Amino acid sequence: MPATIHQTIARRRQVIDTFKQELIRRLNLPYVPEDLHEDVSLLGSGLGLDSLDALEIVLCVETCFKIKIPDENISVLRSINTVVDFVIEQQDAKGGQP
Amino acid sequence: MRISPLKDQLAAAGAVFRERHGVEVVSHFGNLQTECGAVRDAAALADFSFVRLFTLPETPGIDFLDALLAGNVPKIRFGRVLHTFLADKNGQLAADCFVANNDQEFIFLGESILPDAELDALLATNGGEPALKDLSADHVVLSLDGFKSWEIVKKIFGADVIGLPYLSIENYQFAGEPVRFIRAGKTSEFGYLLIVPVKIAAQLFATLKAEVEERGGRLVGADAHDALRLEGRFFNIFREGERVRDPLPLGLQWMIDLEKENFSGSAAIKERRVAGLKQKIIGLAADAGGTTLKTGAKIFHEGQAVGEVVTDCVSYVLNQPLALGLLPLELAFSGLTFRVGSPEGAVVRSISMPPIMPKSLTVKLDEM
Repeated sequence: MPATIHQTIARRRQVIDTFKQELIRRLNLPYVPEDLHEDVSLLGSGLGLDSLDALEIVLCVETCFKIKIPDENISVLRSINTVVDFVIEQQDAKGGQP
Repeated sequence: MRISPLKDQLAAAGAVFRERHGVEVVSHFGNLQTECGAVRDAAALADFSFVRLFTLPETPGIDFLDALLAGNVPKIRFGRVLHTFLADKNGQLAADCFVANNDQEFIFLGESILPDAELDALLATNGGEPALKDLSADHVVLSLDGFKSWEIVKKIFGADVIGLPYLSIENYQFAGEPVRFIRAGKTSEFGYLLIVPVKIAAQLFATLKAEVEERGGRLVGADAHDALRLEGRFFNIFREGERVRDPLPLGLQWMIDLEKENFSGSAAIKERRVAGLKQKIIGLAADAGGTTLKTGAKIFHEGQAVGEVVTDCVSYVLNQPLALGLLPLELAFSGLTFRVGSPEGAVVRSISMPPIMPKSLTVKLDEM
């Protein structure tokens, strides 16, 4: 496996693990990180979180990654993977590293 | 083969039918792209009478369903709906279920990949015969979906309909008959399931069809719903569910009450969970016009076959083929590239799902 793929996976895995652990802790979800598929819907169907939970997710991203999700960018909260995409994009924009 | 009570109306409207697990369903009405577009941009009506539909009295309905289903049935609050699944004794998926707590009754809607007789036998092994009343023969289920579908239900059933939260049930009247009304939907646009007595089904179907068409929408079939579910990353038991069967690689842990001691198939599912996941599904996308991202195609990484495509569609929103692939855990990340069909086949990318932003998210119903 080329190093670039290793690096891509390792970086993504790190963001995913951090986010899942904090999400479970903050929302007291009855799961371990391995139970949460990264594409599971955060709001409505899937985990079925509500608007208050959405605020917790936004705070979770701020706390873990020092990145703000703007109010008008609520579509970021579609799934764990879309949140992770946003975090990685923002990290890249800031210079590449967390 | 079980046939919808609305078959004549559907056929008159140009429906093309197919069989799915012993049930006749509408495949399409001639133009898949137009049907998908109707949901995304306007409103669409579909016959969902293929679902198995039961009513149970609250007692012993709660205990019966809780012993059967993966989710926690006693926790369903009055007027709310639980999305969960039914597995067989081996922990393999049998039905994707909505369970509604509706006054003195519980409603069970199952999208089943088992023929009716096999599902009945599975239910009977859990002592279902005395408690379950099958509504499938004398009711139809209509699915009204789309960006503008809320306008239609508001007009027909009243303004309070639009205040219903996702996954809730309410009872309304149409032409003097009761209609059980569920806000659900698996397209990522607004969606409603209407459980309608057969005696008024044709009348309500015609009314909804006219309202949908007035808004630029149309009748749609199962093919469109299959594509829309994938585009919105809603689980589809008739596609990836049927092909994979194991709820864990499919990412359905959220449908399971992991603290519940027993449900149908629980021992097998818990055993596999403890053993750890080896594979899971991930979204895939190909360039516009690509034709190799098809269900059953092998997925290659560095010349080795590592997985397969378990469902596919064309996204008309993104204008590109989408799919779900079952891949080893260590490769199930978005942002990677693979080849499909052969080691030198077309390049596809793993992507984060859902890849679209539904229009309905831009509508604030509580401000209407």
